[in-house]
Amino acid sequence: MKTIALRIVLLCTVAVLTACGSDTPTSTVDTDISRGTLVDNPPFRIASVDAATLGAQLGASPSGAQLLQVTGPPACGVDFNYMHYWTVNASPTGDVAASGSAALMVPTGASPNCSGPRPILLYAHGTQTDKSANLADITDPNNSEGALIAAMFAAQGYIVVAPNYVGYDTSNGRFHPYLNADAQSKDMIDALTAARKALGKVLANTTTDNGKLFITGYSQGGFVAMATHKAMQAAGQPVTASAPMSGPYALEAFGDAVFFGNVDLGSTIFTPLLTTSFQRSYGNIYATTSDVFEDAYAGSIEGLLPNAVPIDQLIGSGKLPQLQLFHDTVWATGSAQLNATLNVPANPLFALGFGPANLVKDTYRLAYIMDALANPDGAVPTQTNLLPAAAPGSTLRQAFALNDLRSWVPTSPVFMCGGENDPVVFFSVNTQVMQAFWTYVAPPASPLLVSVLDVDSAITGPDDPFLLAKGGFAQTEAAIDAAAGGGAAGLQARTQTYHTTVAPFCSAAARGFFSQF
Amino acid sequence: MNTHNKITACATLVALVAAASALADGSVQSNEIRVGAYIVKYDAKADDLTGPYVPPGVNVSVKNVTTPYFAYLRRMSPHLVAQLAAGVPPKTETVGKGPATLGSVPFNGQVVSTAKWFSPSVLINYVFRDETATLRPYLGAGLNYTRFYDLKSTPAGDAANGGPTAIKLSSSIGPVLTAGLRWHIKDHWSAYASYDVARVNSYYVGETAGVQRKTHIKFNPSTLVLSIGYAF
Repeated sequence: MKTIALRIVLLCTVAVLTACGSDTPTSTVDTDISRGTLVDNPPFRIASVDAATLGAQLGASPSGAQLLQVTGPPACGVDFNYMHYWTVNASPTGDVAASGSAALMVPTGASPNCSGPRPILLYAHGTQTDKSANLADITDPNNSEGALIAAMFAAQGYIVVAPNYVGYDTSNGRFHPYLNADAQSKDMIDALTAARKALGKVLANTTTDNGKLFITGYSQGGFVAMATHKAMQAAGQPVTASAPMSGPYALEAFGDAVFFGNVDLGSTIFTPLLTTSFQRSYGNIYATTSDVFEDAYAGSIEGLLPNAVPIDQLIGSGKLPQLQLFHDTVWATGSAQLNATLNVPANPLFALGFGPANLVKDTYRLAYIMDALANPDGAVPTQTNLLPAAAPGSTLRQAFALNDLRSWVPTSPVFMCGGENDPVVFFSVNTQVMQAFWTYVAPPASPLLVSVLDVDSAITGPDDPFLLAKGGFAQTEAAIDAAAGGGAAGLQARTQTYHTTVAPFCSAAARGFFSQF
Repeated sequence: MNTHNKITACATLVALVAAASALADGSVQSNEIRVGAYIVKYDAKADDLTGPYVPPGVNVSVKNVTTPYFAYLRRMSPHLVAQLAAGVPPKTETVGKGPATLGSVPFNGQVVSTAKWFSPSVLINYVFRDETATLRPYLGAGLNYTRFYDLKSTPAGDAANGGPTAIKLSSSIGPVLTAGLRWHIKDHWSAYASYDVARVNSYYVGETAGVQRKTHIKFNPSTLVLSIGYAF
């Protein structure tokens, strides 16, 4: 009896000491935090949809059905993988390690256009106020940009790598380095490095890198895409071609234009993103937020965006004004010309950016403009040498100049796309200034390396290579106008949606551009 | 099951068997070994899986299984018998229950994981009628301890979960009840048929590249046991 009891005790001891865990091999976890480290390999796959299912799911909503008309029906299925990787964030004392997350969309299917060696498309997303935004989460109905790039690129055979950016989603970055060209390009490059480690290890392991790399992005992402092309070229890393879209490339010229009174839609969102980014990157934008912002906002403005609270709620609770960037002061500086520069502009669109609930103090705006007049940008307010100011005095203008992309000459093809009436990111001050810079100031080896599309321009004839993009954009604008009842209401509806309406048509044109290589 | 509960269960097992030994009557055959078959039917009920990126209605069920049975019994008195029973740990298959597909990945009816169970029970049985009777019905009650091991996510499970998945199932302690009939064949030999029910509850955690999904499963096994016993 004692023997039996002893055996049970031994048996139970083994049971107590033994964990009840899985014997299945799972993802390997890399604890290194150096740049480009992929944390979980293979990364987590959020969803896997075949081409028919993707088409059916997109087609089930009016916006998805409209998108499919631009992208065409999916040719491939898509696996939506969710990567975590290590990159860096900026700080006044240099780069600091930061974690990031990204979408890795892998095309699937039996067709050779959907698996085997495929090109990589590195995508930079547009301005996002939602801190939890995750491009990989195709199950999120608010993830419209994720759906766009999935349908436009991944479902047509491109392996899409799309970082959520440092400061978003699960990133431990203490801020988002908005339009910091160095930090954001490093984030992109590190996401690409991590993604290449995952290819061949993910569940769709027969889809692999064929060595071609395309870079694109929209709005903020247009800037980031171009900055990334510039950084990779400088580092000797091959880029097949890039297609920055509707981006603020000539950052100083754009900033000056806004401060001169050409206030863009969305400026009350872009401004705190920029000041937080540059303050935490360089430490010299202001001594206190009250130097820049009205007291009503100064207390909570730094780090306000991105935020888990929806932007409408932030505006509704008085954390930000909706449109009024500057005060509608009637200036009396003693200079009629300066007064005219500072007063509310006649353009009704720009005038929306003025009012008594303004975000930026008059004193700060005046100091900025005085510096812009003393150390003018070469494109704004008057076109001279097309270069950023050599030595601006304003620390904000210094940051703009430092990150301005009139600072490189591409050696592989660049295709810029936008819409000439964009009220959010001005086409003339950004895309056309870059085009002029590369035409007159710093031409690339071949003029064919740079091309530009304005989707809002007239169709030149039946042979217009961008006939579909231009025609589709025009039709969509007409539909928006008609839905709003035409007239002033139609114009308002078109203006409010213009920037986002351009995106799928430029993306389709970019895809056509990439297909040449 | 935490370590404290495991130790408590083991102490209970030892105490029951020790008690059986103390009460044993040495005038008749006191020991018996039984071998046979465990025919296990699960009526598993699980909460829908929770965790990131899990659509509503994702659940699991468990396939029935048959495995060899063995038991040691100790006579305590003419009507009381202590029993330590177990089966050869069966490989049990967990099956996806819910949407036909997750995205485009087949789910409902797919074998998503496998596990082996070590599941001993200790019972005290009350045996009716005189010890010389050919047919003796009995009722018993006791404790079951279930430990899961060799847990594996299948390729279908990995596909549904979004990658290679590590699975954990907590151990369980719960009551077990039995009702059976002994048929004395000849001399040392008897045949037995019994029907057992046990409470086996476990917490499931599946981890895929750092993403955890969880549920609570009530396995609700009911078991038909057919066996041959040899007394000595």
